[in-house]
Amino acid sequence: MRRWAHRTHLAGLLVFAASACGTEGKRPAPAGAVTVTDDLGRVVTLATPAHRIVSLSPAATELVFALGAGARLVGRTTWCDYPPAALAVPSVGDGLSPNIEAVVARRPDLVLVYRSPLDQAATAQLAGLGIPAVVLEQDRLEQVGRAARVVGVLAGRERAGDSLAAALAALVARPLPPARVRVAFVVWDTPPVVIGGGSYLDQLATLAGATNVFHDVGAASASVGLETIATRDPDVIAVPRDTARGEVIPPAFIRRPEWQAIRAIRARRLVYLRGSIFSWPGPRAEQAADQLRQLLAEAGR
Amino acid sequence: MKGLALCVAAVVAVLLAIVLGPTHIPLADLATSDVVRSLRLPRAILAFLVGGALALSGAGLQALVRNPLADPSLLGISGGAGLGAVVAIALHVTNPWAVPLAAFAGALGAMALVYRLGIVGRGGVGLDSATLLLAGVAVGAFAAAITTAIVSLSDATQLRNAQLWLWGGLSGASWETVGLLCAYAPLPVVALLASARSLDVLALGEEPARHLGVAVSPLKRRVYVAASLLTAAAVAVSGVIGFVGLVVPHAMRLLWGHRHRPLFPAAFVGGGALLALSDTVARVAVAPRELPVGIVTALVGVPVFVLLLRRWTTS
Repeated sequence: MRRWAHRTHLAGLLVFAASACGTEGKRPAPAGAVTVTDDLGRVVTLATPAHRIVSLSPAATELVFALGAGARLVGRTTWCDYPPAALAVPSVGDGLSPNIEAVVARRPDLVLVYRSPLDQAATAQLAGLGIPAVVLEQDRLEQVGRAARVVGVLAGRERAGDSLAAALAALVARPLPPARVRVAFVVWDTPPVVIGGGSYLDQLATLAGATNVFHDVGAASASVGLETIATRDPDVIAVPRDTARGEVIPPAFIRRPEWQAIRAIRARRLVYLRGSIFSWPGPRAEQAADQLRQLLAEAGR
Repeated sequence: MKGLALCVAAVVAVLLAIVLGPTHIPLADLATSDVVRSLRLPRAILAFLVGGALALSGAGLQALVRNPLADPSLLGISGGAGLGAVVAIALHVTNPWAVPLAAFAGALGAMALVYRLGIVGRGGVGLDSATLLLAGVAVGAFAAAITTAIVSLSDATQLRNAQLWLWGGLSGASWETVGLLCAYAPLPVVALLASARSLDVLALGEEPARHLGVAVSPLKRRVYVAASLLTAAAVAVSGVIGFVGLVVPHAMRLLWGHRHRPLFPAAFVGGGALLALSDTVARVAVAPRELPVGIVTALVGVPVFVLLLRRWTTS
């Protein structure tokens, strides 16, 4: 979420033409080769599992480490801060509209690209250079399992990929706890931007026994009026914060006069979602849901 | 008659802004509703004041530079305000009024710079219209470039939302904001209204105006400063709302003619009505979501303008 969801939200305005390349199974793959279909429907075949992987999204970086292939990661984005071991991997800069020269300089035999119109040019350039790339969509929980399987196969960690996918499928299929708290996720204040039903945080809220009062808004995030927040009257306002460590600085808007029309703001029933655990769906989903449940319970008291 | 119709339109626009909203509030409960008292009412009034300020400022600037394309956002003020706001957001200032104040400071800074660049000629007293416009565009572009550099180099993910501020909107409306604007706006508004007669003469050209006894340089300085101050305040409380300052003065000119005495009040009331109406549409059209009001001003205003333009050019 946050930067990613925001960018995707903006990007969603553009119609994304999935450019499925028609290279499906024309030649038989040599022995030891691995083949996957990525989230654009492109078939990607590697002669051997990848040993030099560059990841262009924080979610993919976390996935590579979770599958035990961290040692094969030779490049990450500036935004990849989890697990801490990822920080030891050289950064290639931004993951969206990446610097292709920096990526190529890492001499990758596989690049994990985030699915976004901003990465279309990079995907084409990598193809032109003959560097295999898979495009992964990792915006919602149910997409992580597929991504885990794909990365698992390509990194020679098929078993780990399958078991992570199974664990996440079990989490999604788990009976949901009764929704006790009504929450609104406020990501920006001028204009007020909230998290909608098409987001990972909305899924986390459900897993944590809460209801996102803006679940009916289909998009990942949307601009809404203060009046709407006030009348939907959430019990708690959740605010994502950048600072993972140290004291969290309360956002200035909670002291603005017009925000006092919202009961949860007046009562200062706020929770701060800190760190990347809430930023993108991945192996930490269950932990994130538990943390959110705890935070909401504390704020609700 | 025309004036009465415009005033009625403005009153209707403000009433609609109070009655309509994303949540349905029965007419009987309007007076007692908390949402109406603390959110809708100040927002409707702020929309009217900001719209009026932008349109009046646009009318003043068009008269000053004698160019129909002049618009408050062309004079670098919006760029400066955006830079100020983004700096305040980047520095994590925790004061709830920091962003509007910084935007205001940025707008004033840009205004001062453009003003200095616009002074040309003997003794450095003349404010040259063409230079002023060019300086405004240049300063605005420069400020926008710095803003974008800060936003794209920053590590803070929140800062990426800072650009949303630039799209403009009246979500920051409160009685405090309305009070601030009411205390601040009268001075520049009166300064502009008082310049109306002289601007009529200036429309004949600078030399003829001088011969007819108009102190051209002080007049231009006064109009420029007043229009800029008005725009700076509007941008500080509502972000960059385009179109109102450009087209409302033209629309009013089609109805009221080119004399500034009737044109200025008409532009103020017309701009206010347009923004109040547009903000209602922005809040209601895609509820519970909200549209950026600048989009709606164009969607509502352009058809009206085209209609007026056709009537005027065919008659």
